[in-house]
Amino acid sequence: MKVEDLDTGEKITWCPGCANFGILMSVKQAITNLVNNNKLDLNKVVGVSGVGCHDKIYDYLNLNFFHTLHGRTLPTLFGIKIGNPELTVIGFGGDGATYAEGIAHLVHSCRYNIDATFIVFNNQVFSLTTGQATPVSEKGLISPSTPLGIGEKPVNPISLTLNCGASFVARGFALDIPHLTKIIEAAIEHRGFSFIDIIEPCISYHNTTKFLREHVYKLEEANHNSANYEEAMKKAREWDYCYGENAKIPIGIFYKVEKRTYTEQWSQIRTWHKFERKTDFRKIIEKYKS
Amino acid sequence: MEKQILVGGAAGQGIAKTAFLIGKLFANSGYYVFNYRDYPSLIKGGHNFNILKISDKPVYSNENYYDVIIALNQDTIDKHEEKLNEGGFVLGDKNLKAKNLLGFDLSNIIEKLGGSQKLGNDILVGAFFKLFGLKIETVLKTVREIFKNETIEKAVKEGYDLVEQKINLPEPGKKNKFFITGNEAIASGAIVSGIDVYFAYPITPATPVLHILASKQLEHNFMVVQPENEIAVINAALGASYAGAISMVGTSGAGFSLMNEAISLQGISEIPLVLYLSQRTGPATGVPTYNSQGDLKFALNAGHGEFPRVVVAPGDSKECFYRTIESFYLSYKYRILSIILGDKHVGESNYSFDDFEEPKIKPSRFIASPAEDSKSYLITENGVSPRFVPGEKAKSRASSYEHNEYGYTTEKEEWIKKMNEKRFRKMKYIKEEINKMNPVSVYGEGNNLIIGWGSTKGSILDALKKLEDFRFLQISYLSPFPTEFVKKEIENSEELILIENNATGLLGDVIAEQTGKIIEKKILKYDARPFTSEDIIVKVKKILK
Repeated sequence: MKVEDLDTGEKITWCPGCANFGILMSVKQAITNLVNNNKLDLNKVVGVSGVGCHDKIYDYLNLNFFHTLHGRTLPTLFGIKIGNPELTVIGFGGDGATYAEGIAHLVHSCRYNIDATFIVFNNQVFSLTTGQATPVSEKGLISPSTPLGIGEKPVNPISLTLNCGASFVARGFALDIPHLTKIIEAAIEHRGFSFIDIIEPCISYHNTTKFLREHVYKLEEANHNSANYEEAMKKAREWDYCYGENAKIPIGIFYKVEKRTYTEQWSQIRTWHKFERKTDFRKIIEKYKS
Repeated sequence: MEKQILVGGAAGQGIAKTAFLIGKLFANSGYYVFNYRDYPSLIKGGHNFNILKISDKPVYSNENYYDVIIALNQDTIDKHEEKLNEGGFVLGDKNLKAKNLLGFDLSNIIEKLGGSQKLGNDILVGAFFKLFGLKIETVLKTVREIFKNETIEKAVKEGYDLVEQKINLPEPGKKNKFFITGNEAIASGAIVSGIDVYFAYPITPATPVLHILASKQLEHNFMVVQPENEIAVINAALGASYAGAISMVGTSGAGFSLMNEAISLQGISEIPLVLYLSQRTGPATGVPTYNSQGDLKFALNAGHGEFPRVVVAPGDSKECFYRTIESFYLSYKYRILSIILGDKHVGESNYSFDDFEEPKIKPSRFIASPAEDSKSYLITENGVSPRFVPGEKAKSRASSYEHNEYGYTTEKEEWIKKMNEKRFRKMKYIKEEINKMNPVSVYGEGNNLIIGWGSTKGSILDALKKLEDFRFLQISYLSPFPTEFVKKEIENSEELILIENNATGLLGDVIAEQTGKIIEKKILKYDARPFTSEDIIVKVKKILK
């Protein structure tokens, strides 16, 4: 297949020059590579998005797709996987949706180790609602809802998900498409919960392009051992999502481990709609008679 | 013949189990039994009691006067003794203080048997069964089935031998009756409907369905999941249903509040879903282990925006079973939300029935095989787009955003209008279906009409036996509303009395909205307790004066 086979023909309404184009391209390229290498059945791929700028990807990918509510990508994804474990589910969220509205779901999705991929478009602001601070905005950010500057330090999604038991934790950079494509491919291939926090500027409300370009470095070029949890945690703490001049921002796969997934645990989970049931009404109701 | 029995004690003393044994034994022996459960929100201590009504005729409610009180502590006597009928008596330990106590030296017997203090319950019920003249073989057989414990059997036998028969019951009817709660019936209805996944977060009084289904998941090959909160519950259930599973969620008012946004998502995405809403007393935490019919309008209106839904309120546990099966059928056939609107009273009370008839509806997944270019939201005459699931040639799309037929996002006037019309068009067809499912029931004969819904059915039916010239109109389907049936009954009646277990008469509002008829006379109960039939008789007679 060609990358273009994933196009829908729907008009793209992100701002011209938006970093999301980089993410869209990487996702399409990763899926195409996997399909062409016979590692993925396109008919069985399902996308899930929440609400925010990221959700528009629903219209731009020719996949089975569920466009759910703000912050609810993860429980929906969880349900889809329980509803049919044969599906390859790729969830998308924004940083507002994931780290504010839906953070409880993120904690538990890591715990459950659902066999699915979850990709966060993290530009550190609520963009579609005109630039308010999110839980990952840098301390001091002046935004329409925080004109006095935000007082708290940001949540660190990498150390959070590592702590909660995610079996694949990565950070991507939206403006490095080849690198991001490889991370997404590895995430989809990984059996277990694959979490990717993709950092990106919002060219309209939080333009960090220059800073991010100057401060990112690749974990694989720094001899990082992604099988080592302690090392992963150390690397996770290296950047606090703030904009200090000495910031070093590692990108790549922090951690990857094989663990039993949620759906593997329970033998009764199956591709339900292909399962023919024979329910014996008498047998079921007569339990209440003797 | 009717006998009213109260079993009371502290939480943790085994009150519910003892009452269940009594009810089960009389139902096995061929009597009709109703068993009401009253318990505060605590684990040990406090005051728990059950009230049983036992009769040779069908009974559906409890009273608050008693022929026998089985007291496991003094508190029970202090609280309920004044409600003892003439000739009534208290069964308990010899050290308890009561006017008419039939007391036994329980500690001595327990010591002899070498068991725990809880054997006191078993000794007392043993004596109770003898007083009522039940055969020892039947008693021991049922005790064995329920407890599978020899010491308990011995304790029951000890108690049985302590007394002589005192009460002569009329001949029993058909033996081995069903003895079943609404929650048990809803869980059974879900299994019969072919449930694949049940999602729920613990909440009284819906929790028993979670427990029952969880205990049967391996036997019947389905999955029960308890996610992190009610928001996850309903979103995951929609995800599972989208992926092809038959899904259901269960909750009570507080959890239902959290589910509202996703209920709205169901409305626009048209993913089939069955939701059990077991009402308890609100607002907020309210009175969490007690009853209310306070969520009728909430169920009818939950979720932002306008979209259709099915709401059905079962009046007893048998109806819980069949209404659940209907809910699955309607949800999956019409890609709609069905709310089974129960409450603590119908959910946790045991009702007895001679039989359950085979359901007419057979389970079906209603999944279509799509062509390559099939549209997830195809506009059709009946508003139902054939449902296909991911994994096929065509792309299955579901969206919370307004969409065109393929499911792609739209803000165009034309599609917004078309999709609204498509969603609401289903209701006409659903209405035709429910018209064949007894959307209303009329009981009794007379010129005057009592109108009610849900769990008040039991006490109204029991009251109806003693009220002259009254019919009872039970409205089961609240959405789509059976307007014509209700209008006709109202127009053919003289006196109209609305009976509801809430503070404002919510059904009265719905009737006014749907039929233009205003019911002036209302009997409302909003102390978190269900009506007894006596409550209804007294109040109806007062209105007639």
